[in-house]
Amino acid sequence: MHEASLMKDLMRKIEGVAREQNASRVLGISVRLGALSHMSASHFREHFAVASRGSVAEGARLRIEVLSDMNDPHALEILLENVEIAE
Amino acid sequence: MKSRTIKVDYLARVEGEGALLVKIKGNTLADVKLKIFEPPRFFEAFLRGRRYSEAPDITARICGICPIAYQMSAVHAMEDAFDVQVQGPLRELRRLLYCGEWIESHTLHVYMLHAPDFLGFQDAIQLAREHPAVVQRGLKLKKSGNEIVTLLGGREIHPVNVRVGGFYRVPTRKELEPLLEQMKWARDAALETVRWSAQLPFPEFEQDYTFVSLRHPDEYPFNEGRLVSNRGLDISVHDYDDYFTEEQVAHSNALHSVLKPGTPYFVGPLARYSLNFDRLSPVAQEAARSAGLGSECRNPFKSIIVRSVEILQACDEAIRIIEGYQRPDRPDVPIQPGAARGYACTEAPRGTLYHRYRIDESGTIREAKIVPPTSQNQKTIEQDLRHFVAGHLDDSQDELRWRCEQAIRNYDPCISCATHFLKLDIERE
Repeated sequence: MHEASLMKDLMRKIEGVAREQNASRVLGISVRLGALSHMSASHFREHFAVASRGSVAEGARLRIEVLSDMNDPHALEILLENVEIAE
Repeated sequence: MKSRTIKVDYLARVEGEGALLVKIKGNTLADVKLKIFEPPRFFEAFLRGRRYSEAPDITARICGICPIAYQMSAVHAMEDAFDVQVQGPLRELRRLLYCGEWIESHTLHVYMLHAPDFLGFQDAIQLAREHPAVVQRGLKLKKSGNEIVTLLGGREIHPVNVRVGGFYRVPTRKELEPLLEQMKWARDAALETVRWSAQLPFPEFEQDYTFVSLRHPDEYPFNEGRLVSNRGLDISVHDYDDYFTEEQVAHSNALHSVLKPGTPYFVGPLARYSLNFDRLSPVAQEAARSAGLGSECRNPFKSIIVRSVEILQACDEAIRIIEGYQRPDRPDVPIQPGAARGYACTEAPRGTLYHRYRIDESGTIREAKIVPPTSQNQKTIEQDLRHFVAGHLDDSQDELRWRCEQAIRNYDPCISCATHFLKLDIERE
């Protein structure tokens, strides 16, 4: 259930970036899922599809990198690396 | 289509979500709905199939601010199931441990979350810039509570020394003694806190609440007593489920607790104080009177003064316990588990915390129910907001949001981020 809260936070950030850039659409996002973040790529896709429905990021391409290093200082985290916006 | 990539490098965070929907028709308030994101209570499921003895350590993880409350409700419910009485010095040590938690939790709320609201600061950082001595006093007072928890519980957060029947190890008199000087300083600091909080500017906002808390024949309540209200309720905690129920509401995924058939009620410092003023120590009673409080308080904004009085009560109680402590021969009472049901309510800083367990003959937990104070207060918080918003319909959106956050903070709710958390939607027709 905490994924819903994480996704909400992520969507807030993505929509904020789009607003700052005056972009009407987000075409893609890149995320890195830490080895201990409790998220697989397919899990993330599913949640993103639900969380982004009706937003500027609906249908955005997802580039998901799943990390395997449990000792990485960000192993627990989900990192939004970049957001691709329509010009 | 041309596109551009923006580098962000943002770490997603899990946060509590609060949203308030306010509907205004013309010049009148039509509706107020508070939505709190309450995750499912997986802890109740984690407990199934585990040993009865693991309940205090598992449930402690529910809250980093008030793990003692969870441990105390868990051990008392188990002892209720197995018909065990924990008396004498062990009982006193449990009260002392609870004093530590009340001091640290209340102080955190008073100084870091609540006071900045009254003084027009965004947060405690701003408060510290303007009033460094005040914030330093708060931090030192909080630390004195943490030290009790560390000494008795083994560590500050999620302590590990509490067990069904008592403790794994109990301190010697010599180990407790250093706390005494510190608690005497803390008692003075708490008295200062009462005086200081009493001078804050309070809105006129007396409400007609149904207060619920534990009441004990001769103590200010921590771990034991009957559940009473100011409307004539007076029941054993065994009967909790006959009188209280949780309902789902369509607009929030947090459950709403009601006194059957459907009365919202209010647990926490204001309720405890108003139902147990005569059980406060003389020094706490006198401080409350000097601060302008009567024997009951129905203005939730003044809960900051009541919390300060409870800090003072906890410091005074801690001193009494430390001064009279004699180390018991053994740290726990033996337990014979068997098939049984156990019930307990204890008073967490935020209010009454109910645990119920069903155990089988091997001592394995088959069923667990936990009702935390914040969820019991949800309906009353919503009702307060309705009354509060009605008087501030002309405020700007930002002003109104800040005032509503402040009104919610009166309750010291378990919202993971109780600082600036509220999404406010105002619909005007």
